[in-house]
Amino acid sequence: MSEILEFVDVSKHYGAIKAVDHVSLSVKQGEFFSLLGPSGCGKTTLLRILAGFEQPDTGRVILGGQDVTDLPPYERKVNTIFQSYALFPHLSLWENIAFGLKVAKRPKKEIKEEVDKMLALIQMEDQAWKKPDQISGGQKQRVAIARALINKPRVLLLDEPLAALDLKLRQRMLIELDLFHDEVGITFLYVTHDQGEAMSLSDRIAVMSHGSIEQLGTPAEIYEAPRTSFVAAFIGDTNFFDGIVAGPLQKHSPFGGTRPVPVDKEYSRLIIGDLPDLECYNDKQIKEGERIFLSVRPEKLRISREPPKTAPHLNVIEGTVEDVIYLGAQTKYWVKVGAYRISVIQQHSRFLLDEIPIKWQEHVWLSWHADDGFMLEKYDEQDENLILTPPEEVGETMEDVPIAVAASEEEYRGDSAAEVPVS
Amino acid sequence: MKGQTRRRLSEWVATLPSFVWLLLLFLLPTLLVFAVTFRPADPYGGIGSGWTLASLLTLVNAHYPAIIWRTIWLSLVATTLCILLATPMGYYMARINPARRRLVLLLVILPFWTSFLVRIFAWKVLLHPEGFIKHLLMFLGLAGQDTSLLYTTQAVLLVMVYTELPFAILPIYAAAEKFDFRLIEAAQDLGATSLKAFVSTFLPGIRVGLMTAFLMVFIPSLGSYVIPDIVGGPTSEMIGNKIAQRTFVDRNLPNAAALSAVLALAVLVPMIAILTLRRKESPRDVLIEEGV
Amino acid sequence: MKHSRLPAIVTWLVMGFFYLPILVLVANSFNSSRYGGQWESTSLKWYIRLMGERDIWQALRNTLAVAVSATLASMVLGTSAAFALHRFVGSRLQKLHYGLIYMPLVIPEILMGLSLQLFFVSLNVELSLVTIGIAHVTFCLSFVTMTVLARLQDFDFSIVEAAQDLGAGWWTSLWRILIPMLAPGILAGGLLAFTLSIDDFVISFFVAGLGSTTLPIKIYSMIKYGSPPLINALSTILLTVTFVCVLGSHYLSNKGQKAA
Repeated sequence: MSEILEFVDVSKHYGAIKAVDHVSLSVKQGEFFSLLGPSGCGKTTLLRILAGFEQPDTGRVILGGQDVTDLPPYERKVNTIFQSYALFPHLSLWENIAFGLKVAKRPKKEIKEEVDKMLALIQMEDQAWKKPDQISGGQKQRVAIARALINKPRVLLLDEPLAALDLKLRQRMLIELDLFHDEVGITFLYVTHDQGEAMSLSDRIAVMSHGSIEQLGTPAEIYEAPRTSFVAAFIGDTNFFDGIVAGPLQKHSPFGGTRPVPVDKEYSRLIIGDLPDLECYNDKQIKEGERIFLSVRPEKLRISREPPKTAPHLNVIEGTVEDVIYLGAQTKYWVKVGAYRISVIQQHSRFLLDEIPIKWQEHVWLSWHADDGFMLEKYDEQDENLILTPPEEVGETMEDVPIAVAASEEEYRGDSAAEVPVS
Repeated sequence: MKGQTRRRLSEWVATLPSFVWLLLLFLLPTLLVFAVTFRPADPYGGIGSGWTLASLLTLVNAHYPAIIWRTIWLSLVATTLCILLATPMGYYMARINPARRRLVLLLVILPFWTSFLVRIFAWKVLLHPEGFIKHLLMFLGLAGQDTSLLYTTQAVLLVMVYTELPFAILPIYAAAEKFDFRLIEAAQDLGATSLKAFVSTFLPGIRVGLMTAFLMVFIPSLGSYVIPDIVGGPTSEMIGNKIAQRTFVDRNLPNAAALSAVLALAVLVPMIAILTLRRKESPRDVLIEEGV
Repeated sequence: MKHSRLPAIVTWLVMGFFYLPILVLVANSFNSSRYGGQWESTSLKWYIRLMGERDIWQALRNTLAVAVSATLASMVLGTSAAFALHRFVGSRLQKLHYGLIYMPLVIPEILMGLSLQLFFVSLNVELSLVTIGIAHVTFCLSFVTMTVLARLQDFDFSIVEAAQDLGAGWWTSLWRILIPMLAPGILAGGLLAFTLSIDDFVISFFVAGLGSTTLPIKIYSMIKYGSPPLINALSTILLTVTFVCVLGSHYLSNKGQKAA
């Protein structure tokens, strides 16, 4: 696949605020690419720079091999689905869809054919002569898509297109968007603050924060192997451990200290405050003596009343259950281990009613495989607040995030954590 | 940057016509008023060349302090009366049902659309010695044959209130409409009397409207000219009358300019005061937000 | 809770205060007595005399010529000004621009009238209908700008961006999108400008030359020196025309809102 779109070292600031800070990225032909991040992270500015509504301070924008940085919006082969849809209220749906072709002075017959084709695609042939204020939010969205697609853009830009819809409709439109993308084969550049949307739709995601890209990769890469505390906390739930790399493993194993463990350069021992030493996969070759933060997703942890069977590369720690929240498909535990309060999610794959559930104040063992802990390249204490913040508020209340009740947090985060695609 | 230039260009294209028009035909003439003050008059009613303090010295006329003082207090009294009447009206209009509110609003706006001169004339007819009110007062024994209703300071004040009142009602109503009336109930719930609740919650709640009303009534009142000219007499002249007299009767433009300069300064003081007060109330939001 | 009846009483008393003089005036125009102290007899004689006053008809023609041209010019200038003020809010130029637009709204008319006369006299421009028209554009411009600006506050600018995004240049976006969508605001501003222009006396008086009598100037001289009953009749006609226009536009805009 060839590159259809490239941002080369693009920067844009408003006064002292750096909206976009030296961003370079490229998007492949036909790809569904998402820019994901909290409000104020620069994703919309980047999109508007591509559309031509904003001018970058530095850098170039290359579209289909052509430098479009200095072209006005109406000379760029991209089209945008606006958050508010921006349908022309004084024109009928038919005229809205025909607008681009009319402006391009295409022959009348061709316009009619194309518009009718589009109306068929969005299944709204019978409503062609309605005005935008006479149709529903979901229908407006479809008209906006048709209006953009009729111009056959090289890239379709979508700016939080589902934000204005309610939850039910959002889920349906999510499926429709996916179908449209498969059907028309155009490159989609999708901007959203909703990690669930980005995860389920995208081929690749660029996670943005404070104007720069934190991590770029497939949804699974980003979820399973977060590189920074921001990515780990913004996408899904996680636990952070603060430790010092103590060289390869030899005898101080967490398994009781009797059995010798073979030296393995790929794994490192981590000294963590008042916890027993942990073992983790050190693919980044971080040197001995360096301070590092480890991220472990709650669903990677096993919780049990009895000590787990020992196995190679298995980390085990002991603690006391502080909170238990039953969530139907899963149960969430908060376990106090030393100074840490660790969240654990247990799927109920074989939940039996007669099984005695783990309760508050019980002594438990937590265990996880060394491969499931990720050493972070960048850590910021502020990011811990993200774990408890609804995505739409991230960026606005970064300074003082109230300690949210764990139950309310589940409303917006629980489902996405459970439905991460493994593809 | 090319796009940056394009944006600057479109800003200038959209701004320039009105900007240049007002610069040439509003700001420049207004500054000219101050300049012409220091010019001599020419015998043909025009403006002579050279510079002189003659016009400025005419301001030290024995009659002027009285006229300036009258202009200010008449305007203040008229403004106070307008606000006193408009505040309960704004309160009432904000509380009634929408259909009736539309009717009252229409009735308030309607006089505004009718001719200013016609409305003043209507009062001249009413107050005329042969007019309706005089006959009514005489019939009630409240006025004698010699009582004069027209050409008095009271008549000027009455007609000023009549013509300016809609300009006080509209901003106060606009502010009252946004007021949360549950605050009054909350104050009463906490033990305040109706009047105390009104004063301590409603009046502060509509203060922006009150300030706007003050500006909208007080400043035009300072420049009143037609009202004292038609229903006032020699004892109710205002600065506006003197400006007109110097312009049309004496044909001495520099003298008229000197008086106008005084009026302009008198207008600037309350305007700047209120505008600074209002700016403190609601500092403009900075529009640095992504995607705005 | 007991509501005070005072606000209602004040409101309806003020309504009486507003309309009593107007009603008396209208009634008097049908009274054959000169000052309407007593009712002599109902007659249309003042209206018939009014028809013969050729000066009045000439003044009306002048007024309409000035009003129509000043309205059109201020609609164009005011719309463009409002657009600039809204679109480029915060720039230094627009802060100055806003000050220039705002000042004419609050400055007393007599100041504007005299300053314009000084301006024209200094430039040796002969006072005429043209100078009246120019003066009217100057104050109407601010009113049109403010009216359109109010409409722009809740205008979604991404609609213009959408048009550009779909390939429309700024000219096309202007004519196909911006102007049609702002038409109600521009028309409302134009209506306001027209009314203000037709009604203006003070400023017109200062910049009027020989033979450029407008209707308000004519009415003023009639009030000062002429026959009151004739003005009664003329005023009644003017009042009827404005009432019908205002009620009509009110009815139309209400209907428009319901249809939307």
